[in-house]
Amino acid sequence: MCDSCGCQQDPVPINKEKVVDVHEQLLAANNEQASANRRHIEKMGAVALNLISSPGSGKTSLLEQTIERLKGRLSIGVIEGDLETERDAERIRKKGVPAVQLTTGGGCHLDAPMVHGGLHVLEHMAKGKKFDLIFIENVGNLVCPAAFDLGEHRRVVLLSVPEGSDKPEKYPATFRSADLVLVTKTDLLPYFDFNLEEATSAVKLLKPDLPVLPLAAEKGEGMDAWIDYLLALLPR
Amino acid sequence: MHEMSLAHGMMQQVLALLREHGAERVTDVTVLLGPFSGVVAESFAFGFEVLKKSETCFQDATLHLELPDPHYRCLECGVETSLPLTRSATFLDPDCETSTSSRCPVCASTRLSPLGGAELILQQVRME
Ligand SMILES: Nc1nc2c(ncn2[C@@H]2O[C@H](COP(=O)(O)OP(=O)(O)O)[C@@H](O)[C@H]2O)c(=O)[nH]1
Ligand SMILES: [Mg+2]
Ligand SMILES: [Zn+2]
Repeated sequence: MCDSCGCQQDPVPINKEKVVDVHEQLLAANNEQASANRRHIEKMGAVALNLISSPGSGKTSLLEQTIERLKGRLSIGVIEGDLETERDAERIRKKGVPAVQLTTGGGCHLDAPMVHGGLHVLEHMAKGKKFDLIFIENVGNLVCPAAFDLGEHRRVVLLSVPEGSDKPEKYPATFRSADLVLVTKTDLLPYFDFNLEEATSAVKLLKPDLPVLPLAAEKGEGMDAWIDYLLALLPR
Repeated sequence: MHEMSLAHGMMQQVLALLREHGAERVTDVTVLLGPFSGVVAESFAFGFEVLKKSETCFQDATLHLELPDPHYRCLECGVETSLPLTRSATFLDPDCETSTSSRCPVCASTRLSPLGGAELILQQVRME
């Protein structure tokens, strides 16, 4: 029925409706910047790794020990993501490696535009020198970083022994997005209810071809396999 | 996750389309959430419902979520298969996703490698 005069005629439909098929990524802006970052990193001569874990799983300690083993052989740069403070970047600089601190001011993950800024600072610090490896330590969080491509070539998820072997089951999206899983602080295995086999099979259930390396950076255990993994990423 | 900020970003994309097409209001938005995206569908929908109140052109908009089944490749026999995921109101419970303990329909292997599935896509917008 017509609203204006109450007659029995149906109103003439004025079809203004438009249907737009979009098929655009929700994170399109981030993903485009991530692709640009990847090209940028390659121009810097480097391969980049994005390290993701809960707070305190041993990302910075792993980087310190990795630098210790590779310095003199390879040129390394580090981008540190944290909620606040320069502390982690300072720990890395003490090892004689350029490190940029990105503080998210409460933000729960790094995104590609932030890393883009970090890459420029890193380049400036290196004064034109090429890099072999760039490590990006993400904000301690096992959920949000998974959705954000930063332009890395490999994504590494760390799981420390005190956290428990059920983490892969609890955070499947993050573990599925990984290229490598490191079980860290294996020196603590005797003191915690952590079953290495169980953790490995939980990871394999999510993604059967995902490699898992156990290590204890601070004790030097398992570091050789990790270093070999890194060296194999470099162009020969 | 940050479902709220994802919903906000999506609405900004839709607003840009609205301007581009000279339309005034959004009636329907279709979004695909990949089964391995880690995005909780309920939280995303909730974020949308909260945010749409503050945007006049979204007042009457309906959100449609496409939740496709995950795809896998069997690492034993190579077959590509899609298996249903038990998505329900308990999707917040992380155990329900892995509880499918999927097996290859051809060789019954559990070595199923996920194919894609992390995508978050704005599929379609209806506006007038
Ligand atoms: N037992 C043990 N403790 C470790 C190991 N690696 C790191 N830690 C400790 O774990 C704590 C957090 O390490 P950190 O590298 O700062 O973690 P991040 O927050 O992931 O960067 C520190 O107290 C480290 O000393 C390890 O291999 N074994
Ligand atoms: Mg740290
Ligand atoms: Zn099979």
